[in-house]
Amino acid sequence: MSPGVLALVSALAALGLMLANGVVLIYMLRKVLAHFHLRLGPMRVGWHGLLQTPADVLKLLTKEDFDPSATDLWLFRLAPFMVFVPSFMAYLAIPFSDSLSFTPLDTGVLYTLAALALVPVGILAAGWASNSKWSLIGGMRAAAQQIAYEVPLLLSVIGVVMIAGSLDMSEIVKAQQGTWLGFIPRWFVIPQFGGFLLFLIAALAELNQTPFDMSVAESELVEGFANEYSGMKFAFFFLAEFSNSFVVSALAVTCFFGGWLLPWVPIDLPVWVDVAVFLTKTYLCIFVLMWIRGTLPRIRIDQLLSLGWKGLIPAGLAWVLLTGVVVKLVP
Amino acid sequence: MPPDATALSRTLVSAGVEGAGVSEEALGVLARVPTDAVAGALAALAEDGYSFLVDLFVTDSGEALELTYHLRSFGTDDEVFVRAVAGHGAEVPSVWETHPAALYAEREAAEMFGLSFPGHPNPKRLLTTDEIGEPPLLKSVPLRAHHEVARPGIVRVAPEPSQEDEG
Amino acid sequence: MTADQVKRAADAIAAEGTLVAPKVPTGLRRVPGGVDALATEHLVVNMGPQHPSTHGVLHILLELDGEEIIAAEASLGYLHRGIEKLAEHRRYHQIGTLLDRADYVSGFHTEWAYSMAVERLAEIEVPARAEWIRALMSELNRIASHLLWLGTFGMDTGAMGPFLYIMRDREALLDIFETVSGARMMFNYVRPGGVVMDFPLQAEPLIRAFLDTWDGYLDEYHDLLTGNEIFRPRVKGIGVIPRSTAVAFGMTGACLRGSGLPWDLRKTRPYGPYAELDFEVPLGTTGDNWDRYMVRMEEMRWAARLARQLLDGLPEGDFTAKVPKVLRPPAGEVYAAVESPRGELGVHILSDGSDVPYRLRLRSPALFNLSVVDEVLPGSLIADAVVTVGSLDIVLGEIDR
Repeated sequence: MSPGVLALVSALAALGLMLANGVVLIYMLRKVLAHFHLRLGPMRVGWHGLLQTPADVLKLLTKEDFDPSATDLWLFRLAPFMVFVPSFMAYLAIPFSDSLSFTPLDTGVLYTLAALALVPVGILAAGWASNSKWSLIGGMRAAAQQIAYEVPLLLSVIGVVMIAGSLDMSEIVKAQQGTWLGFIPRWFVIPQFGGFLLFLIAALAELNQTPFDMSVAESELVEGFANEYSGMKFAFFFLAEFSNSFVVSALAVTCFFGGWLLPWVPIDLPVWVDVAVFLTKTYLCIFVLMWIRGTLPRIRIDQLLSLGWKGLIPAGLAWVLLTGVVVKLVP
Repeated sequence: MPPDATALSRTLVSAGVEGAGVSEEALGVLARVPTDAVAGALAALAEDGYSFLVDLFVTDSGEALELTYHLRSFGTDDEVFVRAVAGHGAEVPSVWETHPAALYAEREAAEMFGLSFPGHPNPKRLLTTDEIGEPPLLKSVPLRAHHEVARPGIVRVAPEPSQEDEG
Repeated sequence: MTADQVKRAADAIAAEGTLVAPKVPTGLRRVPGGVDALATEHLVVNMGPQHPSTHGVLHILLELDGEEIIAAEASLGYLHRGIEKLAEHRRYHQIGTLLDRADYVSGFHTEWAYSMAVERLAEIEVPARAEWIRALMSELNRIASHLLWLGTFGMDTGAMGPFLYIMRDREALLDIFETVSGARMMFNYVRPGGVVMDFPLQAEPLIRAFLDTWDGYLDEYHDLLTGNEIFRPRVKGIGVIPRSTAVAFGMTGACLRGSGLPWDLRKTRPYGPYAELDFEVPLGTTGDNWDRYMVRMEEMRWAARLARQLLDGLPEGDFTAKVPKVLRPPAGEVYAAVESPRGELGVHILSDGSDVPYRLRLRSPALFNLSVVDEVLPGSLIADAVVTVGSLDIVLGEIDR
């Protein structure tokens, strides 16, 4: 196959994974939240509501593509894609196994985080283009939040990068092979626990997830930046949100939980086992995100920003310094 | 524990409220004051501890409107009623400066009875809209079903409901 | 600007009386006067009447500077049904149905206030059993009402969980109401003279089963919200209503007690069987959202204890007095009030001796509690405004009547 065809095939495969993920995650979110909330969730369409999500997708696809009259039309139509495309880009560097990833990149971690950092531009565009006051406030909040939490997110993985000695995600995973003392897996979450905590908080903020769902904040801003959107345009925001939570969870698994590696077993397993392990770990991470979402109240915007600037960034810098010193001293 | 009627009338007199008559009735201790003295009487009573306005009760007796200010003192655990009689469409001075609880109560009384409260900082309608016409709680305004009220600009296309249920 | 330029500008002002603008580099837009003079504009937004956290159809106009509120004004009346006017055209026995629709979350209290007013007007002696049943139902209703408030308050702070958890207990309570009165929300159970039918036998095990689980469930709600490190800074020190403000604006109920004034009609004007019961009134100190939250949480605990006392001591006897089918109370005027979950719910009736009241006025506690928003919201953030309005526990049906 020529490189061009290969790139096209892998891009299509990534898109397929993203869409499939969206469908699975919507169902999972509904069911998980429902059971946390003493409910059952969708039960009527199909066995335990399995067909509910396909039905909703069909509904969204067949809805009228409606543009409110007072919007900045081109930007309004463009904004969903400005959110969707970066979150699609973020899929490309994730290693599913030793040999399987859409595009192996030497700077995978940096690339993934950079792609995710583009998402709030689209959210701000959506808030601005909607020409609605609530949407504007939501978009502004998203921008402020993103600037505040981009830095700690990067700082939190720098420790991992320093220990692994590479920005390549495959290399980071390979650095986590083996065990300490024969039974503790060499996952970076143990030496880098502080980094993991930083990553968790910053990632929740990056994902606009409860308790940091400032830009939607339905009890304050109705639906925030997505107020004026409906039909497929709204679905794009939704899809991007779900795929972002997949990407961030995959990043967490790669950097802190040994990626596709199974602890205590030999490393040369078939590819499908690697992929299954990776996806299982990722979905467990997503489950934790949903757990947090179902439990916690929402923080206030000024508390969020002061936590970001005054708490996480200094803590991140201190953690990087500490890791650096330790890495230098302990070879 | 009802307050002493004579003490109450002494308070009102010393505050310069002319023509106040205090009596004990089934409702409680009731001070009748002239309309233009309401603000003064309530200010004097607020000095005396009656700073909590429980309610503003307005009723249309046919010829005139009666305004009853229901006051309470948390210090002495007393309640008094201050009543003023005003004509239809009359102006009653607002008491919001001494009793901010009157801000909403007066707005409601104004729209429901066609009174006006000069001095009120925000004399808008509270519960109804401008289209409602006459003040609805006046006795001269009949109780009507919604299809009996003329609403300019609204064209009814469905058949009107039967009036059998109307009591 | 160099000192030379400043001098030249000053000379120019002295000579011509106008300011000559010093030269700015082209291609760079400078804000005259620095960042402080940046042109900003206030944003006026309509919070409601269709907004997830205005508890019905409340409409608040907010003038915002960024996220900070400069001015707030509540706009009411979206649920106005003219209950007071309608009551002037209904016989005394028919009015209970109307008043149920006023405060649709705690119907027993409105019915009781109205029945008490009519009984005082017509001098009807109410049997003890009827009073105890009324008190029992209204205490259970207080729990149901506070539960709904707790759930929506959790939603206001962004926690979705409590709202769905409270539905479990509220469901049990609504089943009890249905067993006793035949209806889940619009009861029309308390009527002038007593209650409409006797306390059914099968209700007692239901109530006992509920009360046995209740304390554990209440602790669970405390676990969900009270100790939460995100929840506490959202409510502590936010929406402070000093005692003087609370009194001036006519606030009652948990809002007044949260501000530290021990005023509960069940204690200060004991009605029904409350003088014989053993209970305490929880109090706040500063009047912030946290105090109002804690007062309501504790009230739920005490309401359950009261319900247990009432159930244990339920006297035997008639459940209603002999009341004529067409009640014609003598001419007169009366004001009767109960402590509803929202505060002092008063009914003021003027009778002219006919079979319909000449004038009936519902003293709505939530209306007076709400009137404080114009005063306390300015200066807070949108997110705090939502929580503060939520902490007032308003029911629009009662505000608009």
